[in-house]
Amino acid sequence: MNRPRLLRTTALRIALRYLLAYALVLGAALGAMFWWTQGRHDTQRDAALKAELSRLVDAAHGSAGATLADAIAARMAQPTNTHLYLLVAADGAVLAGGWLRWPEDVDADGDVHRQWIDEELLPPGRFDDDAYLPVAASRLEDGRRLLVAAVVDQPGALYESAEYLLESLPLALLLALAIGAHTAYAILRRMDVIGRTAGEIMGGDLSRRVPVWGHDDEFDALALRLNAMLDRVQQLVRGMREVTDNIAHDLRSPLARLRNQLEVSLLERRSAEDYRNTLARAIDDCEQLIRTFNALLGIAQIEAGSRRGEWTTVDLGALADDLAELYAPAAEDKGQTLLRDNGRGVTVAGSRQLLAQALGNLLDNAVKYTPEGGTIRLRVGRVDGAPCISVADSGPGIPATEREHVLERFVRLQDSRDATGNGLGLSLVKAVAAMHKAGLTLSDAHPGLIVSLRFADRAA
Amino acid sequence: MRILLIEDDTRAAEYLVKGLRECGHVVDHAADGHDGLHLALTGRYDVIVADRLLPGRDGLSIVRMLRADNNATPVLVLSALGEVDDRVAGLRAGGDDYLTKPYSFAELLARLDALCRRRQPYVAERAMQVADLVLDVHGQTVTRAGHPIRLQPGEFRLLEFLMRHADQVVTRTMLLEQVWDFHFDPHTNVIDVQISRLRGKIDKDFQPPLLHTVRGAGYKLSESP
Repeated sequence: MNRPRLLRTTALRIALRYLLAYALVLGAALGAMFWWTQGRHDTQRDAALKAELSRLVDAAHGSAGATLADAIAARMAQPTNTHLYLLVAADGAVLAGGWLRWPEDVDADGDVHRQWIDEELLPPGRFDDDAYLPVAASRLEDGRRLLVAAVVDQPGALYESAEYLLESLPLALLLALAIGAHTAYAILRRMDVIGRTAGEIMGGDLSRRVPVWGHDDEFDALALRLNAMLDRVQQLVRGMREVTDNIAHDLRSPLARLRNQLEVSLLERRSAEDYRNTLARAIDDCEQLIRTFNALLGIAQIEAGSRRGEWTTVDLGALADDLAELYAPAAEDKGQTLLRDNGRGVTVAGSRQLLAQALGNLLDNAVKYTPEGGTIRLRVGRVDGAPCISVADSGPGIPATEREHVLERFVRLQDSRDATGNGLGLSLVKAVAAMHKAGLTLSDAHPGLIVSLRFADRAA
Repeated sequence: MRILLIEDDTRAAEYLVKGLRECGHVVDHAADGHDGLHLALTGRYDVIVADRLLPGRDGLSIVRMLRADNNATPVLVLSALGEVDDRVAGLRAGGDDYLTKPYSFAELLARLDALCRRRQPYVAERAMQVADLVLDVHGQTVTRAGHPIRLQPGEFRLLEFLMRHADQVVTRTMLLEQVWDFHFDPHTNVIDVQISRLRGKIDKDFQPPLLHTVRGAGYKLSESP
């Protein structure tokens, strides 16, 4: 597997897209959380700042001037102190807090304001740069001014987790990428197998099939579908091959006979009558060849399903009447009786011509193999609601062991050698039955043969 | 008959022309679709035989062009495509008949004859008569020399068809297709048996015989053989 191909796969593209979405959502969530927590933190800190200021102001009112500076010093000495303090005299001299001087533009109204404070004003050592600080200031009654500022300290835990998240982001991206790549690889592998199978089939091995992985997923569904298609294709190709073989087998000898017969008649000078006879025989041979050829081609076409254009609703009763009318005189000529068992209003979806041809073949066989005085019965009806049509004769029948065999092409049973025919009649019936999804059964009529076609139930 | 044959297979065309001329017809031959269409549009023919697959312009489009030009000359389409769908396409394009290769020459002759005669004004007669044989279409009765003849429905339709095509050769395939509407090869001689049965009813007890067998072609209902 080469990399560019992996990078081109849909799975990887999808993985990357999810990755992007994931990063965006994560960022937005983090931002919101940050904003919200910060807000709460600020409110709490401002309240604390204000309270500290008022505590100090209260303390100043109730005590001597020096006490306030002491109190501030004491607070600043505490290790947990998070505030900056500044106390200046009415003339601006710094009394406590270590600041350089009172910063300008500070409203001494007791409320909390956020303000930029120059670095140089601030007590040394605490800040490297100008600071943006929440500040609360108040003017005492004796003119002194007091300022409390919070040393801005971000909520540490939040920062830490955000940092972890940010640090883990590349790892998450990498992981997502790896999963995407793995998925893409897995899909590609399965597609490759399908592609390879297709290649082998194109190479001529029609028996190859796409492996089914057994995960019962889309790929298995696709594999099963493809295999079903391949089964059908193979069946069609096999049918074609059979036709070719059969044509070779069954048309070559009569073609050779035809040719030799014509050649021999040219060897010597013959009478016009002789030539005429030879030519008439040659035409008969051609006729027989064409019939066999048409029958083979017809069966192949039916098996390939290429005659679906003729599909209509066929009234089996009316069709049986037409056929009985056509074949009855032929049966009567052989001293047979052709009986028609009526079933009106039995219809199936199908091709009238093909059904007629199939039934014609069955009637033809029945007339051929039923002895004089026999009976042929053409019956249309419903069996358990399913449309059914059958041809029964009182002839010798077909032994149970031979019944499957006679449905194959070019099979004529030994004792029927004398009868004319190309041995394709029943295979055409079989193909027509399969095309109409009808069950074809050969059974014993005691005596004789019953061939019946049972169609899928349409009345249900 | 004046016949235009549009066929690109030169060998086939050669003996078709020869055969048709020997049967007394005047034949023009075009070897491709363009020439064929040109001749069909400019000449006067009783019937046109067009191969379906032709270089230049296929047979069906020739038929369509002719019909678009209000030319009603009957066309028989010859084709190596023999499926019913192809046949339907051929007839739908305006063709009057469709013959699948390989066909017999007698079949072609009989069909051309039928096409050509169909062109003559056709009156839906109440009764048809050949010699002393009379068929009443509406009354569904048949008499010969005044004697009523009882026919089965199938036999009646067969005789009706033969009488409509009196003095013409009709082939077994034509009968199977047009009397029974079956387009397949029935293998056995069902049509021959039908004919001999009909003959037994209309000819057996009367003179002269009217239903003749034409060797190698089919049958003909006529007063003279």
